[in-house]
Amino acid sequence: MERAIDISGARKTYKAFSGATHEAVADVSLAVERGTIHGLLGPNGAGKTTTLKMLLGLATPTDGTFQINGQKASATARAHLGFLPEQPYFSPQLTATQALVLYGRLSGQSKRDTVARIPELLERVGLAGRERMTLAKFSRGMLQRLGVAQAILSNPSVAVLDEPASGLDPMGQRDMRNLMLELRDSGTSILLSSHQLSEIETVCDEVTILNSGRVAARGHIDDLLNVEGRTSVRASGGEELPAALSDLVGDIAVSGGAWVFSIADADIRKVVDVLDDEKWRLLSVAPMRDSLEDYFARLVGGEGTEVAS
Amino acid sequence: MIGRSLAIAGSIIADAVRRKVVWVVIVFAAVMAIAIPSLPSYGVGVIEAVFREVALALIYVASLVVMLSLAANRIPSEVERRTLYTVLSRDVRRWEYILGTWLGVFAVMGGVIAAFCLTSQIVGLVAYGDPMWRLWEGALSILLETGVIAAFAVAVSTVAGPVIVVVASLGFVFVTHARTGLLGGPDNTLWNFYPSLDTFNIINPVAHGTGVDVAYLLLMVGVFIAWVSVLLLAGSTLFEKRDV
Repeated sequence: MERAIDISGARKTYKAFSGATHEAVADVSLAVERGTIHGLLGPNGAGKTTTLKMLLGLATPTDGTFQINGQKASATARAHLGFLPEQPYFSPQLTATQALVLYGRLSGQSKRDTVARIPELLERVGLAGRERMTLAKFSRGMLQRLGVAQAILSNPSVAVLDEPASGLDPMGQRDMRNLMLELRDSGTSILLSSHQLSEIETVCDEVTILNSGRVAARGHIDDLLNVEGRTSVRASGGEELPAALSDLVGDIAVSGGAWVFSIADADIRKVVDVLDDEKWRLLSVAPMRDSLEDYFARLVGGEGTEVAS
Repeated sequence: MIGRSLAIAGSIIADAVRRKVVWVVIVFAAVMAIAIPSLPSYGVGVIEAVFREVALALIYVASLVVMLSLAANRIPSEVERRTLYTVLSRDVRRWEYILGTWLGVFAVMGGVIAAFCLTSQIVGLVAYGDPMWRLWEGALSILLETGVIAAFAVAVSTVAGPVIVVVASLGFVFVTHARTGLLGGPDNTLWNFYPSLDTFNIINPVAHGTGVDVAYLLLMVGVFIAWVSVLLLAGSTLFEKRDV
């Protein structure tokens, strides 16, 4: 079965009038499987936006192939794609309905069909009852929500969302995550570019991390973040850890009266027995997992040339 | 396909209606048209002819200002504000966007020029008891010529900012009306190869003569279609290669 998005060997070089060249994207390949949310991460200047622009026909690639639903990413293939740009801008004199009718017509929908869908669509993005409000009166977060509405207006099978939670308050960010999960569950494949690592970690099935125009890592979020061979233990019961554990534990931290530390997988039985003997309360034993922030910082901070999968 | 271009054109018309500069120019031109009969040059025996000539000149200049205000900044501002992203990332070809932009500007020009012409006609009727129907021939020629200039402005605006578009468009107007001055007359071998918009200059027969016949009107439409096709094709080709 073809992938929702397939980018292979993408490269983009800009040439200045002086003849100097700048390679914004050196070599990027990524694939978004159907019905999944794929995160695209990277520091500023990593090539995320340029890669998206090449996929969306907004920039001409220097090299590489771009496919949407198995078809070359032409205007025809983009009929099945919805795009939310970072900080979307709309003509401020339009009402929400007028803006969505325009985008509906550009997507080949009749005015009647679009108008009929608008109340449900606006409710879905948290703008219920704002149909007749001019966009000049919309807050930054409301414009972001409207941007999402225009992206999913034509029920796309593929959605490309660039910083969808930008400008949203915490409740809005939660709503956005729920909406993305809802879209995925209804069969929409999503390519999500975001700086919000917590958002990526929460909703993405797979991630691709870019650095300096290349893929620094890619894979399932668990595979990237789980620390192989280590287990994280959380326990409480004393002011100091039992002496018998001193040679076995690492990454020790105390949080909320509980001790958190890592141990080798091979020592789990032994550590649990020691804690039991010392009458400690075992709160959790789970595979040790990096935070995405730590992983990301480590990767782009100097180890960013290795592809993790 | 044309539906998407019409949707873009519709958004430009809606945007133009809300632009103050368009209304300011329209009101100014209307006031000027009403004031023409009070000009001191009247009373020399050619009142209606002078009125028609001044009215057509006024319509031409006012419509040129409105056209440039609409066409020069449309694409550059859409690129700058990135509103193009949500348009071109859809099933919208760049030529459809260019065509829609031009159609929108041209439609607004049609409305503006018709309003100017109607105002002039009413003033002429009230002042001289003459409905001056020939003004509409002049209005059509102005619409067609500003349509060509709008196509030029839209084409240039795919690769340049608004100031360059305005300067280039005014240069285009100058060059395309300088054939006689530069080449002398039809005897010059370059005469037929010179890019000229003189075909649309029918002020003399409209103001002072009996107007032009249907064949000439059709010739103007043919020249208009040829110019606009070439310019929009060039604009689309340039825009196709541009990263936005």
